[in-house]
Amino acid sequence: MTSIPASIPAEAVRPTATRSIDWWRWGGRVFLVFLLIFTVLPMAWMLLTSIKTQFAALQYPPQWWPAEPTLQNYTRLLDPSGSIGKEFLLYFWNSFYVSLATTILGVAVAVPAAYAFSRFRFPGRTFLFFAVLLRNMFPAVVFLVPLFLLMRWLGLVNTHGSLILTYLTFGLPLSIWLLKGFFDNIPIQLEQAARIDGATRFQAFLLIVMPLSSPGIIATSIFSFIGAWNEYVYAYTFLSKQETMTLPVGIQRFFTEFATDWPGLMAATFMMSVPVVVLFLVLQKYFVRALTEGAVKH
Amino acid sequence: MAQVVLKDVVKNYGNVYAVNHVSLTVEDGEFVALVGPSGCGKTTTLNLVAGLIPMSGGDVVIGDRIVTDLDPKDRDIAMVFQNYALYPNKTVYRNLAFPLQMRKLPKDEIDKKVQAAAKVLDITHLLERKPRELSGGQQQRVALGRALVRDPRVFLMDEPLSNLDAKLRVQMRSEIKRFHQDLHATVIYVTHDQLEAVTMADKMAVMNGGFLQQYDSPANVFANPVNMFVASFVGSPAMSLIPLAAVTRGTEVALTSPEGWELPLSPANARKALNAKSPKVVLGARHSTVKLHKSQVPGSVPGKVYTVEPTGDITFAQVFVSSAILNISLAPSVQIRPDEPVFIEFDQDKMHLFDGETEMALKAD
Amino acid sequence: MSSVTGQVAYAGAPVAPKRANVFKRIFNHRNDYLYVLPALLVMLIVIAYPVYYTIELSFFKTPPNLQMKDKIFVGLDNYWAILKSDSFREVTINTAIWTVASTFFAFLLGLGAALSLHREFAGRGVMRAVLLIPYVVSAVAASYVWKWLYHSDFGVIGALAVQLGLSDKPINFLDNVHTVLPSLIVVNIWKEFSFAMIMLMAGLQTVPEQLLRAAQVDGANAWQRFWHVTFPHLKGVSMVTVLLLMVANFNSFIIPWIMTGGGPAGASDIWITQIYTIAFGRQRYGVASAYAVILFIVMMTLGYFYVKALTKGDESRAG
Ligand SMILES: Nc1ncnc2c1ncn2[C@@H]1O[C@H](COP(=O)(O)OP(=O)(O)O)[C@@H](O)[C@H]1O
Ligand SMILES: [Mg+2]
Repeated sequence: MTSIPASIPAEAVRPTATRSIDWWRWGGRVFLVFLLIFTVLPMAWMLLTSIKTQFAALQYPPQWWPAEPTLQNYTRLLDPSGSIGKEFLLYFWNSFYVSLATTILGVAVAVPAAYAFSRFRFPGRTFLFFAVLLRNMFPAVVFLVPLFLLMRWLGLVNTHGSLILTYLTFGLPLSIWLLKGFFDNIPIQLEQAARIDGATRFQAFLLIVMPLSSPGIIATSIFSFIGAWNEYVYAYTFLSKQETMTLPVGIQRFFTEFATDWPGLMAATFMMSVPVVVLFLVLQKYFVRALTEGAVKH
Repeated sequence: MAQVVLKDVVKNYGNVYAVNHVSLTVEDGEFVALVGPSGCGKTTTLNLVAGLIPMSGGDVVIGDRIVTDLDPKDRDIAMVFQNYALYPNKTVYRNLAFPLQMRKLPKDEIDKKVQAAAKVLDITHLLERKPRELSGGQQQRVALGRALVRDPRVFLMDEPLSNLDAKLRVQMRSEIKRFHQDLHATVIYVTHDQLEAVTMADKMAVMNGGFLQQYDSPANVFANPVNMFVASFVGSPAMSLIPLAAVTRGTEVALTSPEGWELPLSPANARKALNAKSPKVVLGARHSTVKLHKSQVPGSVPGKVYTVEPTGDITFAQVFVSSAILNISLAPSVQIRPDEPVFIEFDQDKMHLFDGETEMALKAD
Repeated sequence: MSSVTGQVAYAGAPVAPKRANVFKRIFNHRNDYLYVLPALLVMLIVIAYPVYYTIELSFFKTPPNLQMKDKIFVGLDNYWAILKSDSFREVTINTAIWTVASTFFAFLLGLGAALSLHREFAGRGVMRAVLLIPYVVSAVAASYVWKWLYHSDFGVIGALAVQLGLSDKPINFLDNVHTVLPSLIVVNIWKEFSFAMIMLMAGLQTVPEQLLRAAQVDGANAWQRFWHVTFPHLKGVSMVTVLLLMVANFNSFIIPWIMTGGGPAGASDIWITQIYTIAFGRQRYGVASAYAVILFIVMMTLGYFYVKALTKGDESRAG
């Protein structure tokens, strides 16, 4: 090995650095702090209120920090022997049941449809696909009257069936769109290989495609679940019997019956938010993917 | 093993004919390369043989069965894909076992066959890995292994080497060739690389635009290309094609260029040139059949050097002749410079003549 | 057997069997439809039928007891009634303000957040997650929490304003025709700005790093890089985001309904709450349906752009 000598010419000068402060970066930081306060403050106040007594909450000027923090609002909600606890837990269970059923049925219906939209070129494919997507355009309220009549005709008013059937449809367009994106990304050669290896078309789908698209299935599931859990308008209209109510509607009963019990309401609101926030935090990656898929690629 | 017959096979997507009335027979144990430029319908043809897409017309026979209406799984074929198509969520072992599982073989037999195939391909140490943990070459072997475990009647391969780097490609080329010889397997091998086809295949089927152009041994295709497309596709560097015009001078026939020079033809070539539909005749010459002179000799035509590419043992030169560029190979000792005027002498026995109108090779009779 | 074919025919040349007619093609693909059938069936029951029925009802005077066999055909009367009513103008203006302001500010905050969060730093993931929580929780929960924050006597925002000397007594946000709509819009922005953020963050990832580097080498400053490189790459995502926000805001019901019920004096009434009141408050289903049809038409216009923005490039990905 020989090395090639290099020397800095004697006349070379080193200009003084001209890097200035990055105002953009600092502006961004300040902005983020502002957003964080804007986001967190309401949630923090909800929590603080929920550990106050009724007396402490209704003071002016407010107690910025609860003088005597208490968990009684929570224990009351979660105590199955009390009337409030019994009611709350029932709503909670109803919400859970409806959301889970919606999610499972939604996946069962969306997967084959998305697969067909991704793989087959049948006449009317584009039209049907857009028709399904357009569901996102229609506000729930617009459908209330005819759906209410339909549910009455089907004998589903005051049953969870009415909610599950309805919720299916707002999960579906997104699920189909999302899953189609996933299927599009699975090379068709994998299925072809499986079919040559002796699998039927269905086996190729079940054994090869399904496992590969599980992130998509998880993503759509979270979305369906959260959507169903949070839904208010249909539940508010279709359910009038107390024992069938879901949380968003049931909570309103608390509010009207105990009109001034703000700490109790805040505690209930918090409890209602826990499942979806936990679900979101645990599966954040999939959730974000579900949200942005489709709109961002190309 | 079995023979494969394609009879009048057609596949169209609307008005696009991906495969247009292709007929050919692959004999039992033969290695046939399906070759042509990208988009000419090779993959589609292979997929039709495999039964992966429905046919628009024609029949496919494997062995003694007309398989046109059978599912891929019932055709008893194996296929290697260009991007390998290994199941990404399965280990190498499970990838190899999958075709056997689908055929409901007992577990111990599956294990025996997988181990045997792994041994042949020297991938035993990789069996527990996932495909993404393998290099391109290793993935390629696994894909080959998945085809081998099953002892099918026909092997279909769709550009199996085109994702490998040049060195690995040469090595795998000989391995595939070797395994074909050992198994006496019937192989249909798709490639866009004519060199692969020429070096590996017993016969090559040259396709273009959905049509089968020529189906023959590589030597015959090389020596007697049926048309200008095949002539320019097979061989490297490509055969040079110079569009000229045929003129009759008494009993002699010559080719003239727009620049005014004339190239007298031998009696055999003259008869060919006269068979053309019009005076337009295209002269084809392979790089090794032309001589380069620094000064005029009888029967030579003028040209001008364009580029010179020394490769070590051979120097390739491109020379402007009339409106075309002519490839020539030279001994490294020959010294020429770009833009130097030179003279080109053609070998009358080895030159090709094509009908400028129909693009077909001209025959003497 | 060795054959020499030597056809020099190129694509599209002879023997082109005619393209099979539509019915034949549908028949050939009949198995494909089985896959979409369950989805279509559900959509048909829950969407196609209600759409049809809403349109039908919009031409009828309906009895309040929902015995629809007693309905009376009134032609376009329901539509005239809406368009001529005093509240229509006010409600439409409210709807426009609500939709446009919510969308504009949610997008702006989301864009700022996305740009600030694009750079890698410690705690970035946590920050993103926290900012997304309002989007995930139920609008019902958000409405109650903010109703409490805005409370006329014990609300923390009013108290803070007094503390900071911005006001001399607690502010009555929701019971004032001038402040109610902006107050609700703030809640809505709180709830959905992180949606815009997450979309635009995903969009930012598609901006090629090399282009930004090239621009830097070419001497572009931060603003110029944003304007000439980043922003053009965000156009598509921004389109979709704005459209989705518009649609969501246009259709949002829960926040105004729970927080004010459209009051006071209709100052926070928007189309959706108005439709609900007409239908289930006044039992005038025909008029409500006519209102819904008007809303349809507006939505379909937005929907057209939505589908267009969303499916750009889908057809080229056919497999
Ligand atoms: N699913 C399809 N729809 C429409 N056209 C197709 C489809 N598959 C292949 N083609 C067309 O058929 C022709 C041949 O394709 P292919 O067989 O993949 O070529 P290659 O020789 O490169 O393997 C191409 O022009 C391609 O565009
Ligand atoms: Mg191909």
